Amino acid sequence: MKKTILVCCGPGCIAYGGLDVAASFREQIATLKMDVKLETVIKQTGCHGFCSRGPLVRIMPDDITYYRVKPRDTEEILKSLDNKPVGRLLYHGVGGNILKQQETPFYSAQKKLALRNVGEIDPKNINDYKARGGYEALRKALTMEPEDIIAEIEKSGLRGRGGAGFPTGLKWRIAAEYDNFPKYVIMNGDEGDPGAFMDRALMEGDPHGVLEGVIICALAVGATKGYLYIRDEYALSLQSMKDALADAEKAGFLGDSILGSGRSLHIEVVRGGGAFVCGESTALIESIEGSIGEPRATFAYPTEQGLWNKPTIINNVETFINIPLIIDEGGAKFAETGTPTSKGTKVFSLAGKVRNSGLVEAPMGMTMRKIIFEIGGGIVGNRHFKAVQTGGPSGGALPESLLDLPIDFDTLVRYGSMMGSGGMIVMDDWTCMVAVAKYNIEFLAKESCGACVPCREGLRALSMILTRICEGKGEPVDLEIIKSICELLTQTSRCGLGKTAANPVMSTLKYFPEEYEEHIKEKRCRAGVCSMGRSTVVTDSADMAAIVAMAEAARKVSYGVQSKDKTGAES
Amino acid sequence: MNIVIDGKTCEARPGEYLWDTARRNGIDIPALCRHDALPGRGCCRLCIVENENAVGSRSVIVSCVFPVTEGLKIHTRSEKIIRFRRILLKLLIERAPQAEGVLLDYCREYGVAGNGELFNDNTNEKCILCNRCSRACQELGNSAIQVTQRGIDKIVASPFNEPSPDCIGCAACARVCPTGAIACTDTREQRTIWNKTFEMVKCAECGKPFATAEELEWMKPKILDFESNLAYCPRCRGRHVANSAMV
Amino acid sequence: MILKEERLTQLLQKFPPERRQSLAVFQDIQQECGYLPKEHIIEAARYLKMPLAEAYAMVTFYRSFSLDPRGKYVIKVCDGTACHIKNVQGRLDCLKRILNLDPGETDKDGLFTVETVSCLGACAISPVMKVNDVYYGNLTEEKIYEILADLYRKEMMKA
Repeated sequence: MKKTILVCCGPGCIAYGGLDVAASFREQIATLKMDVKLETVIKQTGCHGFCSRGPLVRIMPDDITYYRVKPRDTEEILKSLDNKPVGRLLYHGVGGNILKQQETPFYSAQKKLALRNVGEIDPKNINDYKARGGYEALRKALTMEPEDIIAEIEKSGLRGRGGAGFPTGLKWRIAAEYDNFPKYVIMNGDEGDPGAFMDRALMEGDPHGVLEGVIICALAVGATKGYLYIRDEYALSLQSMKDALADAEKAGFLGDSILGSGRSLHIEVVRGGGAFVCGESTALIESIEGSIGEPRATFAYPTEQGLWNKPTIINNVETFINIPLIIDEGGAKFAETGTPTSKGTKVFSLAGKVRNSGLVEAPMGMTMRKIIFEIGGGIVGNRHFKAVQTGGPSGGALPESLLDLPIDFDTLVRYGSMMGSGGMIVMDDWTCMVAVAKYNIEFLAKESCGACVPCREGLRALSMILTRICEGKGEPVDLEIIKSICELLTQTSRCGLGKTAANPVMSTLKYFPEEYEEHIKEKRCRAGVCSMGRSTVVTDSADMAAIVAMAEAARKVSYGVQSKDKTGAES
Repeated sequence: MNIVIDGKTCEARPGEYLWDTARRNGIDIPALCRHDALPGRGCCRLCIVENENAVGSRSVIVSCVFPVTEGLKIHTRSEKIIRFRRILLKLLIERAPQAEGVLLDYCREYGVAGNGELFNDNTNEKCILCNRCSRACQELGNSAIQVTQRGIDKIVASPFNEPSPDCIGCAACARVCPTGAIACTDTREQRTIWNKTFEMVKCAECGKPFATAEELEWMKPKILDFESNLAYCPRCRGRHVANSAMV
Repeated sequence: MILKEERLTQLLQKFPPERRQSLAVFQDIQQECGYLPKEHIIEAARYLKMPLAEAYAMVTFYRSFSLDPRGKYVIKVCDGTACHIKNVQGRLDCLKRILNLDPGETDKDGLFTVETVSCLGACAISPVMKVNDVYYGNLTEEKIYEILADLYRKEMMKA
């Protein structure tokens, strides 16, 4: 029987040697051809999600998943294809080895809508995508009136996955109603949140799924030009989306006349410049226009005056990938999943001090406890859970007592955090919450565009005060100053970055006040993270001495004893 | 249309920004980054006011970039706004303790003192990053200086911090600066600004230096009858024009 | 590396001379040179018809640009939240002890540059660093020793 071997080549698995495993499979197949009478296809897929156990290898159609596969295991796996699976590489569950992905605790509670194709297909192959119903939604959308497409999206209750959760259908409706052409559609793939990698996984694992969503959006609002704004650090995502664009154009899904419909859409890729603030829609627009990414000061929305002051839709990668699904199956079907105000699923990147880290897609409304302790397998090293930070650096840290909250856009905001793009960082009792607040504020201070005073100077002041507290020089009055600056930030900043920047401080102050008190009054950090002004002694190991010697030797050999000065360096 | 500001009914014009409506109606809202000759920017946030909606709940808006609409109900000096302005002024005066001019007046008015409580790392700073200088330069079509870097490292600079090829030494940047942050040294012969030194041109009539050679060169295509007009300083030019009109 | 004039012209002319292309132009120059040489920024600004001050504002605003030459091996250490709470600082200290470089610095041989980035998008295997295009996850001090020792060995072999 024909077997397909899916080798995960997501970023996690690549770092663990996923590409070597794929190469080894190809090599072994070539040498074993005579012995193993099999027709075997090797596919390099996007992220399977279970990154902490990578590289992952999945055999189809048997649906057997192997974990932590090394190149030396490939021969054994190939030889076992028609026999008994390789037991030692399987998932060891409580009741014995588990063959199927879906039956492991990591996968069983998940519901894959956005990730429906990721890990299942070869992202470079448009036919793989088509074989799973890809571009059918586009064909259907071409037979629909724009108004009906928008109505379907509204019915689905889909809200923007980039963070703020604005209703997608409404956004499209507003832009569609302006009689001002040309209109633009922009995909925001500038995933700048530290701790988030879901957009990357989608662009690398199912680029056509994302693209199909963008095309349908353009049809709905009447846009004829599209931009995919992708973070420059994501080399693989850029390549993946560029390849998908070329293939889609060849297949007639893009261009002057989409599938002969007479509707045109041209899309180009724009590389982001490495600025967190460009996740803000008007800053992103400025960036595409070739300016610095400062959010606009005006009160007009991009749906009215966006790119080159024309009506513009900006949606996040994950928002777009849900679109084909909604058109295919209908908005009502999509709305069956989730909570009354937040529909569908959300992809989270689960990381930090959690046992199973990786990409997790959960229906809206699942509790954080379930995600962290069931899917995530609990805390690493038998430490105790302390907090979970959702929403990236401008989200909040929530304590154990709130773990049973259902996750949706509104609940998280109500408790001082936010959905953000879906980062979920788990912290244990070795994490200092004051230091975490300081880290987040320092990040935001660096990433603020610096245009308005509350954000630029307020964050600088917060960062200085928090540093002071972590060094054991804090005073009780500092907490009052922190609170007043936080209020200023929230209410007077120009854009979303500043308006949410107080979250990491306010949430830790609210849920972990005792840690601030200890730092200030007792000059003590219970997690042992903050130096409190004492210097730490670093001892060098034997390895260290050896490598420093080697470094010296390398310098002498490759550059001669006389080093070139910096300015004279050339390559 | 009519709007209400601090209980007073004010006549507002379509397309106008709230700050301008208020001023026309005799209500002064403090502002630092705003300048009559430059588009609003919403940087300093000092011109924040509260906007009360129909059900009585209030939100903070920035008056220099907020377009007026019929029936607005605005509070420019509520307790919250005063509190916020005080924090903003505190942040600004601590950032730029050497600032001159209107910032100090506002600080006095709002009872704010800069004493190094928040920042203690830039004691010689005068610049509050209001962007007036770079906007003025841009509006004049030169763009010789810009706000560079980002976030807390933001700083106004010429390209590579070197004398800018585009700078004509007109000193418009220094004139619009609200805090005296731009160093411009004039002697009878020379002007030095942004690390670039210019030769001064003297008025054909009174002999006073009135512009740099580059500035006049820049004006050349923009002014009719260049030769006769730009040999004189603005003051003598008026007299000269009047004289020639009489002849 | 400074590009030859014809190479730079070739590179620029791939793009229409419009300001909106500025990010892409600078990115391509940086890709070829490893950094943005001043003379290329000036040339590119002229080509794109944008004031030099605005080009300079662009390249100093966006973090992915470097105005200083960088080493043959650019080590990007992730300082995202997940990496941060797993003590990325310890790994940076380790690099500092071996290479004597703080983040943002390049050694005088032009061999190594150490940088921190806000997130490499590989949080599940944190702490992470990237040497040129290769990711290394679950970093320990021992792993850093191995990685650097390998690079040094490679350099010695070449010489």
